[in-house]
Amino acid sequence: MNKTLLSIVVAASVTLTAQSHAAVYADFPITVKNYTGNKSHSEAYTGQIARHSLHNSAKKLVSKGASLEQTRAYFNAKDEGRKIIDPVSKEGFPVLETHVDAISKGKNLSGKAYKGLMSGMPGSLTGVELLDLMIEKAATTQKGFDPLTGYDYTQLISKFTMGAVFYNQAVDNYLDEKLAADVNPNDKAYKEGKPYTGKEHVWDEAFGYFGAPAHTMELTAADVYGIAKQKVDSFEKADYNQDGKVSLITEMAFAHAYYAAAFDKGGKTKYLHTIVQAFIDGRNLITSANGSALTDSQRSELMGYAQVIKTQWQRLIAEAVFKYAGSVYGDIEKLETIIAANGDVVKVYRAYAKHWGELKGFALALETGGVNLGETGAKMNRLLGYSPVLLGNTQVKALVDGEFVQSSSVSLSEYRVQMIKLQKLMIDDFAVEARDKDVTANLAGLVDSLGQAMAAEND
Amino acid sequence: MVPEYMIDWWLGFIHAWLAELTGLVGQGSKRIFVGYLISATIIAVLWLMWQRRLNLAGAFAWLFQGKTWWSQSSRSDYQMMFINQPIMLLLSPLMLSKLALATTLFYTLTDWVTRPLWSSDISTFWVSVIFTSCLFVVDDASRYYLHRLMHRWPVLWAFHRVHHTAESLTPFTVLRTHPIEGLLFGLRSVLVQGLLIGVFVFMFADRVTLLSLLGANAVTAVLNLLGSNLRHSPVPISYGKTLERWLISPAQHQIHHSQARQHWDKNFGAFIALWDRLGGTLEYGSNTQELSYGLVGQEPTEHQLVSLYWQPFKRCWQSSRRHKRDLISASNVTIETS
Repeated sequence: MNKTLLSIVVAASVTLTAQSHAAVYADFPITVKNYTGNKSHSEAYTGQIARHSLHNSAKKLVSKGASLEQTRAYFNAKDEGRKIIDPVSKEGFPVLETHVDAISKGKNLSGKAYKGLMSGMPGSLTGVELLDLMIEKAATTQKGFDPLTGYDYTQLISKFTMGAVFYNQAVDNYLDEKLAADVNPNDKAYKEGKPYTGKEHVWDEAFGYFGAPAHTMELTAADVYGIAKQKVDSFEKADYNQDGKVSLITEMAFAHAYYAAAFDKGGKTKYLHTIVQAFIDGRNLITSANGSALTDSQRSELMGYAQVIKTQWQRLIAEAVFKYAGSVYGDIEKLETIIAANGDVVKVYRAYAKHWGELKGFALALETGGVNLGETGAKMNRLLGYSPVLLGNTQVKALVDGEFVQSSSVSLSEYRVQMIKLQKLMIDDFAVEARDKDVTANLAGLVDSLGQAMAAEND
Repeated sequence: MVPEYMIDWWLGFIHAWLAELTGLVGQGSKRIFVGYLISATIIAVLWLMWQRRLNLAGAFAWLFQGKTWWSQSSRSDYQMMFINQPIMLLLSPLMLSKLALATTLFYTLTDWVTRPLWSSDISTFWVSVIFTSCLFVVDDASRYYLHRLMHRWPVLWAFHRVHHTAESLTPFTVLRTHPIEGLLFGLRSVLVQGLLIGVFVFMFADRVTLLSLLGANAVTAVLNLLGSNLRHSPVPISYGKTLERWLISPAQHQIHHSQARQHWDKNFGAFIALWDRLGGTLEYGSNTQELSYGLVGQEPTEHQLVSLYWQPFKRCWQSSRRHKRDLISASNVTIETS
């Protein structure tokens, strides 16, 4: 009788432990054999969070019109003592870490940027070269905006960095070649003396790049969105350990996790929770190997979780392309109306450039996922071009001696139509479902307003 | 033991059926919406007091005569109203999607047509006025044409004659419609609305809205409030010749239901009379007209449900066989119509 009772208690506690692991990406036990250090858990992704803080800070600097040296300090350099410029404490939303070093030392963004060729911009540049060029150009503009080319460097740099560093590193490196059996094996510490195995750390790093709070599964998409926006009423949701401050390492939302939350809160998609759950499931699987090398079947299951993450992550970037194509479409509509009325286009032109920068940044990001986009990529880049179509019907066509060169292009009106085609491409080739800023949304709206067609009513 | 999913399906289905039934009188997009019935009653009573010199009680008594509202014909109208709802619920998944049609057209136009520059010059308000009006006019024209075909093609007449077997007219006669005819009306509606939505969104993007009243097209709702339900009623309100050249009056539609030979195949229109004028089928109404409704030589058994639902298929089969053998022309069949 006592044995039975004991086994029930043990089973219940094992189940509870498993459940607590299933909910939060934290407190994974140390499985490295013969570990002698003083750490109590094995997950670690501070390097990735440091890069999120570098990205946020660099974005803020470009938007404020910082010098090239200032931006490069966050983008290229690895110096100590760098203050985090964003996210910082706000009234009602205090942040724990104030310096990059408090998260992780010696990190930069350029060292991890995509080194493959980018076909979405002129000049046959690699991802890292393109980012470098943009940062240089941004420093010559007023607050990151060049009205002559229509380039909003703040947006271009930010969105492309999210792709070329975070997305690329996660899906084309950690969730790809580093899951191979002979790379970072699970029966060895990642490095001598570390409390995590090779596979555990590889997986953690990919999770870190996604940018989700560790307790995402206990939050709604709207909560995570509010946390990334540092909304005061989201503070309690963010402060999981209730220490009165939000830890950027475990409690903050960054980059693609923020975009996933933004799409998901519309209710049509579940990118955020699907991706985070796959990360947790994968991590539990690795942990369950208990410091032994993963068997073929375990590795195959792990690759399955990795594939879920890759597919969903790519689709959520395509959702962003879809959304901003819709924004650009709307901006051109407004521009056409203002031009027809001989009005002042300055404000709308600025919004057009901002949205185009976001659109292009995400479109470029899609190229960095380690997957050849083939015809889809060619169509996307042709529809989008190298710059927004400017008011005189010109567009950047080349990069000559480091300068963007324009020549005549399709009309603004034709470019607007290309945004419709771009949205359709995202539906057809990436199966996007959130479809924010859908230019065909009014079709569904009108169908709804006209109601059911089926009624046995006569004349 | 009935599986749980079947019980769930049935409960869901019955719930949807009840929702459809309540929607019939609760939604402004339906012809027998309670608001339209009340406005029609007020108009009819006032008209009877004015034209027939009846007092209020007399007007009500004349309007709500048992021989009209509880006739064998009317009782079968009510039965069809209940039975048609679940049938249409089951058939609706088969219907072409209005959204799919509008979306396909939108993308096709995007690929092949350049949007005219003047489309940005029209204000949002006028875009909505034009859209709502176009929808009303094209919808009405298509109703006329389909209705005309239903009288001219024997295969279609086999189903539409169910509506014409009504021997007493009440607003509920509008629901005395065979489900196959309901499907055709649904298809017509999908085609018209899908095409117009596709074209208008291509031209004017998100500036297109429907001007609506009581949840329906504002033009249709206003005309319904002005007593369109009286077209199926014993009250022969005529608008006079001048207005009846443009709008179909209740008296004109009652002529469409008349047994008299000279009234056969007249007044196919729903709201606009222009189509009948162009098609040579317009007949003016009169405030004093006294008509017999139904079909010449129809059997009393034609109000029975089995007959109402099943006979059309038999007639359809027979007429298509006859058509094959060239034994009878379509024009001969329409002689039966009233």
